[in-house]
Amino acid sequence: MTKVKPSGSGMAPRVVVQSRRSNLGGWIGLPAGVLLLVVVGTLLSDKFLSISNLTNVLISMSIVGLIVVGMTFVFISRGLADLSVPATVGIGGILVLGLQPSLGSLIAGIVGVLAASVAGLVNGVLIGWFKVNPVIATLAVGSIVLGAAQAFVGGVIVYGTDSETQDLINSRILGGIPVIVIIFLTVALLGHILLSRTAIGRYTYAVGSNPSASEASAAPVKFTRAFAFLLTGALGGFAGVILGLSLQTARPIMGIGYEFDAITAVVVGGVSLLGGVGSIPRAMGGLLFVQLLTNIMVLQGVPSPVQGIAKGAMIAGAVALDVYLRRRGGAQ
Amino acid sequence: MALTMTGIGKSFPGVRALSEVDLEVAAGEVHAIVGENGAGKSTLMKILAGVYQPDAGSIHIDGVKVSLQNPLDAKHLGIRMVYQELNLVPDLSVAENIALGRIPKKGGFVDRAQMHSDAQRVLSELQTKISPSTTLGDLTVSQQQLVEIAKAYASDPKIIVLDEPTSSLSEHETQALFQVIRRMSAGGISVIYISHRLREVMDIADVVTVIRDGQRIDTQKIEGVTVEKMISLMVGRQLAEVFPKRTVPIGETILEVRNVCVPGSCEDINFTVRSGEIVGLAGLVGAGRTEVAQAIFGLKSYSRGKVFVNGLPTRITSPRKGIKAGIAYVPEDRKNDGIIPSQSIRNNISLAVLPSLQRLGFIRGRREKELAQAKAIELNVSPPIIDRLVSTLSGGNQQKVVLAKWLAAKPAVLILDEPTRGVDVGAKADIHTIIGQLAAQGVGVLMISSELPEILAVSDRIYVLHEGRIIEEISRADASEQRVMHAATGGDSS
Repeated sequence: MTKVKPSGSGMAPRVVVQSRRSNLGGWIGLPAGVLLLVVVGTLLSDKFLSISNLTNVLISMSIVGLIVVGMTFVFISRGLADLSVPATVGIGGILVLGLQPSLGSLIAGIVGVLAASVAGLVNGVLIGWFKVNPVIATLAVGSIVLGAAQAFVGGVIVYGTDSETQDLINSRILGGIPVIVIIFLTVALLGHILLSRTAIGRYTYAVGSNPSASEASAAPVKFTRAFAFLLTGALGGFAGVILGLSLQTARPIMGIGYEFDAITAVVVGGVSLLGGVGSIPRAMGGLLFVQLLTNIMVLQGVPSPVQGIAKGAMIAGAVALDVYLRRRGGAQ
Repeated sequence: MALTMTGIGKSFPGVRALSEVDLEVAAGEVHAIVGENGAGKSTLMKILAGVYQPDAGSIHIDGVKVSLQNPLDAKHLGIRMVYQELNLVPDLSVAENIALGRIPKKGGFVDRAQMHSDAQRVLSELQTKISPSTTLGDLTVSQQQLVEIAKAYASDPKIIVLDEPTSSLSEHETQALFQVIRRMSAGGISVIYISHRLREVMDIADVVTVIRDGQRIDTQKIEGVTVEKMISLMVGRQLAEVFPKRTVPIGETILEVRNVCVPGSCEDINFTVRSGEIVGLAGLVGAGRTEVAQAIFGLKSYSRGKVFVNGLPTRITSPRKGIKAGIAYVPEDRKNDGIIPSQSIRNNISLAVLPSLQRLGFIRGRREKELAQAKAIELNVSPPIIDRLVSTLSGGNQQKVVLAKWLAAKPAVLILDEPTRGVDVGAKADIHTIIGQLAAQGVGVLMISSELPEILAVSDRIYVLHEGRIIEEISRADASEQRVMHAATGGDSS
């Protein structure tokens, strides 16, 4: 006597194929890809597998890696992407160096992170509560913050004077591991714990996978959406502070390109733009893949326009593949 | 015969939706199809529309055998569907909506004059007073409905299928629609009319076909039937399954709903649920059952009235507050409102109680695992592997996971909205057993169901909703399918 409402609600088993397939691609594809790059890199250049080269790869991962952590939350919560990253990185870098003479590096750094967090909070409120499209909201907020940063410094470079902190950030400890890499790995680990072991992490997946079921299960949907952007704003500011301290120069436009690199890494890591699927380790795998590929191209002397083309193709390809796999398995 | 469908059969995985259904519709005939929710009416019409392919049987139009591989085939043969949900563009004019898909052109540009006069002709043939230049969004819902029908009519159809066309119309508007239907039928168009409103069927139809459990039960001239006859044909089946309700002592009132009103859906709702009691909420789809349930749980806001839980007035404005007050709600639409498909069984079960599983901000992994494991076994989830993705389970097992999520919250009142829809027989029996056990533990259960045998077998008391009002309360002893159906279709209590 069981009857199916043919209008669709009864046809659940179709979903089966979807998740298995998209998981499979994510788990096996990425380590295999990284391994392939290592082999190719080693064959092409004898410099590739040297400690100094690999350390360089790690350092170049570190700043963008901080942003990747936040961007992973944005993706999994189905928040599309945070395009205000260049602005939050910029405001972090400018504030830490601009306020350094009066407040000292530590307090100035905290102010920088807080200012960027406010930008992230505004993003979050617009997206979570006012339901503004994330792309538009973060572009608008980014433009405002960048404008404010430029007004603050008059549009030119800010130079820092704290060479002590600069040396500390750029130093190596524990037998040669750069401090900047340790900072990055610590943040990535904390982000992983937050996403996998806490309620807000669970809600992030739930909201991204099925917002209306999350709502019906009393998950704080608006707050969860907002949180991803708050976190990305704070981490963008933090990345700007670290970058500023390490270079002791900052410009309003210093963050441009980080949003793109972070999105590339997350997407290549198999974190779905459609929400609900992904993890920090996978995003980090994606970041490693992109960084190794870039490194190989640099070692081979591939001109930078070609590198740009390769990265763009990777984003488009990875997203198209993800959408294709989900469509094929999911709703027809 | 304008249309002859012979021996139509259709199965979905695990379910026989239609078997050996015959349907004959003459030119210019208004042919009503009636049956309970899920009897197979929609499936039959979707086959006629080319949306589904039948597993068996044949379709003839004007005596010629046809094959409807897709909706376009059906369209070319002059078959038009008007569904409950309107397929119109609110920002365009009435004329543009009517012409959509066949816009007249002159030299590559839209021929506005032609489009306008075509629409005018159609609208006046149907004797409506709607102006073709009005923006569609400015019309009332019933006028939009007429535009939708005019759009179908304008394409010179042979057969028009109207699926529950009066569900959002007032009495007066319904009469206006009937005028239009009579005009069309006088013009030789066959009208297939699907409705739950049997009185309206008596009014408009020439012939009625009753479908039950995927089979055609009877086809009669309308003069030969009464509303009571139709009801008994619709529900008069043998009870193939018995859902035992264990007798448990019924305690104090734990949920009391007083004069609750949800704007646009229901008015002045009053009912009570007592500890250990299973209360059925019956009514047709669209009667406001789900809205009442969602308002009590905090998913929908209500404008007036009071809800008391354990005698205390409670203002529930969000699901979070609903859970705090001791209420749980298992939604009707499992796929959209129930499961988190990309997550494991474990994470789905713990979702509503995460705050209580935390220590120092972290989820206590072992506690969560034990909880999920216990609930999965208690509810007989198969396979009981809690790290499996929920999306890999069958519909029935997904439903058990949703139920497990709410049992984890230890509710005092459990609201179930169509808990066994689209679920296989085994899972259905499991779910009924669990509902009975919960009642035995003192939980008050409010169950919404469109399946009369289910609601009759499981409920201690039944409230029947009709058009947003509770029109009857029936005790278990007095309940029968006829009586519930009679009230649900708007009959006076007798």
